[in-house]
Parts: sequence; structure tokens; C-alpha cells
Amino acid sequence: MINPNAQALAPLPEPTGRFDPRAKLIVYLLSFGLVLLATRLPDLLLLNAAALLAILVLRASEPWRRAVWLLWPTLLLFAAIVGFSDSPTAAAGAVLRLLALVTVSVSFFAATPPTELGESLLASGLAPQAVFLLEGTLRFMPTMALLVREVREAQESRGIRLDGLYLLRNGSSLLAPLLADVMRFADDLAEALETRGFGSGHRTPLAEYRFRPRDWALVLTTLATTLMAISLPYD
Amino acid sequence: MIVSQALGYRYPAADKQVLHDLNFTIAAGEFVVLAGASGSGKSTLCRLLNGLIPHLHGGEISGVLTVAGAEPRLTPPHRMSQTVGLLLQRPDAQCLATTVARDIAFGPACQGQDRATIAKRVRETAQSLDITHLLERAPHTLSGGEQQRVALAGVLAMQPRLVALDEPFAFLDPAGAIQLRALLQRLHAAGVTLIVAEHRLSEITRDASRMLVLHQGQLVADGPPAAIMAGDVAAWGLEPSTSLLEPPPLAEIPLSEPVVAWDEIWCERDGRSVLRGANLQSAAGEIVVLLGANGAGKSTLLRHGNGLLRSQRGTVRVLGQSIGRRPVADLARTVGLVIQQPLRMLFAPTVRAELAAGPRALGRHDPTWCAQLSERFGLEAVLERPPQLLSAGEQRRVAIAAMLASHPKALLLDEPTAGQDARARATLRRLLSECARDGVAITLATHDLAWAYSLSQRWAVLADGRITANVNPAAILAQPEALGRTQLLAQIAA
Repeated sequence: MINPNAQALAPLPEPTGRFDPRAKLIVYLLSFGLVLLATRLPDLLLLNAAALLAILVLRASEPWRRAVWLLWPTLLLFAAIVGFSDSPTAAAGAVLRLLALVTVSVSFFAATPPTELGESLLASGLAPQAVFLLEGTLRFMPTMALLVREVREAQESRGIRLDGLYLLRNGSSLLAPLLADVMRFADDLAEALETRGFGSGHRTPLAEYRFRPRDWALVLTTLATTLMAISLPYD
Repeated sequence: MIVSQALGYRYPAADKQVLHDLNFTIAAGEFVVLAGASGSGKSTLCRLLNGLIPHLHGGEISGVLTVAGAEPRLTPPHRMSQTVGLLLQRPDAQCLATTVARDIAFGPACQGQDRATIAKRVRETAQSLDITHLLERAPHTLSGGEQQRVALAGVLAMQPRLVALDEPFAFLDPAGAIQLRALLQRLHAAGVTLIVAEHRLSEITRDASRMLVLHQGQLVADGPPAAIMAGDVAAWGLEPSTSLLEPPPLAEIPLSEPVVAWDEIWCERDGRSVLRGANLQSAAGEIVVLLGANGAGKSTLLRHGNGLLRSQRGTVRVLGQSIGRRPVADLARTVGLVIQQPLRMLFAPTVRAELAAGPRALGRHDPTWCAQLSERFGLEAVLERPPQLLSAGEQRRVAIAAMLASHPKALLLDEPTAGQDARARATLRRLLSECARDGVAITLATHDLAWAYSLSQRWAVLADGRITANVNPAAILAQPEALGRTQLLAQIAA
């Protein structure tokens, strides 16, 4: 427990996890860079294996499976384009790289609640407006999904079908109210932010975030590994 | 606290002023009701108080307005928010964070308070609004009334000296309304200046010390609420003081087979048991009012009625047949549902096209019937206008007429009076009564008890996932000594 007087600070959130979100962000960015720099198939396979191990350790196999399920048509298309324009080896490399990037990203977000990441960055002096971009996306994505569902349900309740090919014919009945509502929502949100003092340029983080020795150890180990991997002779 | 001298305001690109020549002074600690029909300028005045106008909306201000010694037109809203708290109408856009606790903490954090102070304010505000049990919930999973309370908590946690509330009762259940009134009384006693813009005046006029009435942008009355309400307020589009115990007489109707029947409906959503064996029936020509606390499951039950939600246990029958897996669009021939926000239904370029869209999709377009509906609903003058540009009351009428255009035998309405002024509510009451006389089975969920009582023959109370009372309100209210209004409200709240 980082806050010694957590009782007094309830119900404010406590940081979760062993490492500071910023340490995890640095590790994520280094890993991401390493995947981008890797070109040989064995290296990419090794990176995929490491990332998958992280998924298993973090028990994030379900979100990883969902992400890959959403992504597989893109992977296939990507493989076909690279395969036809270059070689099958290049296609395999491209697919493995994309897969590793997805796996590393899913691991990171499984280990780092975005709200904590936002607040830790706030503690580092990042502007509240930039942090709200991260938080707001998280907060309002479900609201937008709910809005789409409501509009869809409202139209179906009138007998206007929006399933399958009907969506092409009746799409305007979904899009027009949706666009109008999203624009109104954006206006209302801007007003709500102003009335809650958002424009002041300052915001107190709700939990205390500190870089501790184990965070430094994690960052330095990852940095050393990355540098070693990059400096290894190519053949 | 507030000084307004010859205050006027014109929105950008508007031809005329929405507020003209407002002269008033409000002292610190006053409790003021701001009344007026839709479009009278109440929300605009609230936005002027904390600088949202002109800083966010632009436009042209004339005259002088000072609030707590500052001129809002020269002071950025985030600085005005230290003094002026404003609760806006739309609750879902005001819940800014991923959990309720984080959301209440948002304002004090932006004020730069330390964590201990923020935590204390979150605890105290949540307790005062009775939302402690919601602190870990995500705002998007809450009902409209719960979101309203969370949004208010977010404003109050900033401890402003002046609180302006724009229709705070719109989404609240009777229990929530009683709690809010008690909270406003406490804030008033603590010396906070209160300005409450509201259509449901019966909720607030007894507590307020002063009433300002806006009519077409002008201040037409300023004084004690009782004195103003005793006059001819209907001319300003306000609802005269009515008692729940003096309703207009309602004709008894012979009951027939139910058009829609909910038999033992069970539903679990987001890990929460919302409906647990709910039973309800709605017969031709009958208006059933569904009452219940915020989050009780009224909307969920209505959505089972036209197949938008499928019961996990139990059966929904329409005209005696189980709806099974019948598509919603197919059921729309018999059951129409008008959701809380009618704008989410309206998409056509004109009202005329909007009325025809549903029947065309169902292959039963009848231009003569559409013409009759537009006449009955008073839409003839706006038939060629885009529905998105109409007033809230007109949009609601278009949405209901568009639904009736398909000749459904049952109509389900979710909070039809939310945000509607007295005139729009009266029109809606007349129209729904006419629909019922035509044989349509109407079931509606509302918190607006006085309106519901003057309209309906049967009240069904949803609590703990079941219909706990299914009664004729007239029979209950005919014996005020036995079961007075307060007890009735308490019963519904429970």
C-alpha cells in the first residue's frame, strides 16, 4: 500500500499492481520499439513467445483472443499484400511483427489500468487536457456504444430494420440521429468540463505515484536487454 | 450575490435576443425558483451566471451582470466555477470519469485541493445524496436518475457559494425528489445561494423564498412563489398549483383481453438482477402507469414488451401469442415503443417524411391516417420542417405520432414528460387520452405523479424486480386520510 493513510483517503482509488504505471509504460515503449526493429523471423518468433508468456502471466488470454479475432482479417490481408509484392518470408515476418505488436499492447493494457496511467502522468506534470484524452476515451466509449444501441433499437421499434443488408438501405435512419446526438453530446461535455473547473490547467492526481527502486530495476533491466538485443551482430 | 441591470443576450447567428432587459438583484443565501415555459430563457440565464455564455457559446451580451463581484463575461468559466456551481440538464455528459468516486473527485481535483480534502468531500457529498453504494460503479451503467444525482454530487463537491440547477428534478423518482428537496433545504440553511430552473414547480415552490418568471426572454414576475402561483400563471406557460388529491374525473373502461402481457419476467443485466418475476398486463383502451425508483427496471420491463430485450425466464405475450424470437421490427406492427430521448428516433429531413418512415418500412403506409395524425397532434404547421429543429414538446409529439402512424395496438412510452413544460405535458395528456379512447393499450413509465394521476386508470409499482402494487389510483386517493400523499410517495419510494 503506497498511501500510509489509505483509510483517510477512501474512497479515492489506490494504485494497483507492483510497478509504477510509468515504469510499465517505458517497458512497453521499449518492447514496442524492439518489435519494430526486429527483421529476422527467429527474432520475431522469440519476441512473440515472450509477449505470449506475458499474456499468460497476466492472465490476459481472453482480451488477447478477442483482439486477435478482430484483427485476423487485417493480418490475412497484410500477409497477402506483402506476400505478392515481396516474398512469403517477408509476409510471415510482417504478420509476426503485427501479432507481436498487438500482443505487447494487450499485455501492457492488461497490466496498466489507463486511469492509473493517466493519473501517474498527471503527477509527472503532463497537462490535464492531455490526460483527459486518455480518460475520456475510456469513459465515453461505452456511452457511445450505448448511444448506437439506443438509436438502433429506437428505429427497430418503428419497424425500420437495420440488420444485415437492411443497414445499407436504412443506414440514414441510424447515422442521422447518431451524428446529431454525438455533436450535442460534445457540446454538453465541453460545458460540463468547464463547470467542473477543467480549464484551470491543474488537477490533483487522486493517488500518489512514486518511482521506487523496483521500478528503476525494471526499467534499467529492460533498457539493458533492448540495447544488448540491438547491438548483437546480425549474422 | 447577483446583480443584473438591463441584461440582454443574443445567440450568435440569431436574429433576436433570447433575454431582454432583465433587472433583478439576488442576495446571498436566497433560494430562487426560475420558472418559465420551454424557450423562455431559463437555461440561457443559468449559463450566463457562470460564464459558459459567452466564453463557450459566443453571442452578444448587453447590460450588466455581476456574480459575487465578478463579471462572468470577463472571467473564464473555470474561475467562475470556484463560486458558481451549475448542474446542466443532460446527466450522462456530466459524469466525466470512469467511476462515480473519481467523478465526484474531478471538480475538487481541478480546484487543486489536496487528496485528503478531496476524499472527505467525496465521502460527504456521496452521503448527502445517498449514492455511497454507487461509488465504484461506472457512470454509464447507472439509470438517468442515478446519473443526475452523481452529476449533482460532482457540482456540490466543489463547494460553490452559488448553485444553479437546470431542471434537477427531470429524471428523479419521488424518493429522489424528496431527497433533493431536503438537500436544497440544507444548502439553503447553510447560506448557499440557490437558483433552481424547473418545470415541475410543485416540487420546489414550497421551499423557495422567491420566484422569478421568465416569459419570452423577459422577467414578468418576481416575488414570493405562493403569491405568484396564486395568479394567472397559465398565461406564461406554467402549470397552476395542483393537488394530487384533486384530479379530473376519469371514465371507467370495460377491460378486455390484454394486448401485451408480461408473465413472470426475469432479467439480469451487468451482473445485477433487475427483474425477478415481474407480471403486468395492458389492455386495449387502458393507460397503465409504471412507477418505481430510479434503476428499478421500468425501462427494462418496457423493452421486454416489444422484444428489444428477451426474457431470461418468463414470457411476453402480444395479443395472446408468445413473442418468442419474433424480430423487433416485425413486432412493431403491434407494439410501438417511444424511448426517453425522442431525438434518437428522428432522422428524416421533414416531419412529413418522419411520419411516413415507419409505416413504409412495415408496408402499411396510409397517407390519410398520417394526415389525421398530424392534425390531431398539431403538427400541420411544421410538416415541412426538419424534426431536429423543433421544440422538445413538438419533438415528443412527432415521435409518438410517428409510432402511431403504423397503427400499433399497444404503445409503450418511457418518461414521456421528462424535460417538458406545463403546456407540452397538458397536450401530451390530452393526446394519450385520445389514443386510449381509440383503443390503443398504453403503458408508460414516469416519475411525474400528478400528471400520471390525471391520465391513468391503473398504477403499477415496480420494486425489487416485481410489480408490488397494481391498483386504481383513484381508489387510493379517494381516502386521503387512510393513505395520504406523503405515505403514497413513501410507498412508491420504498
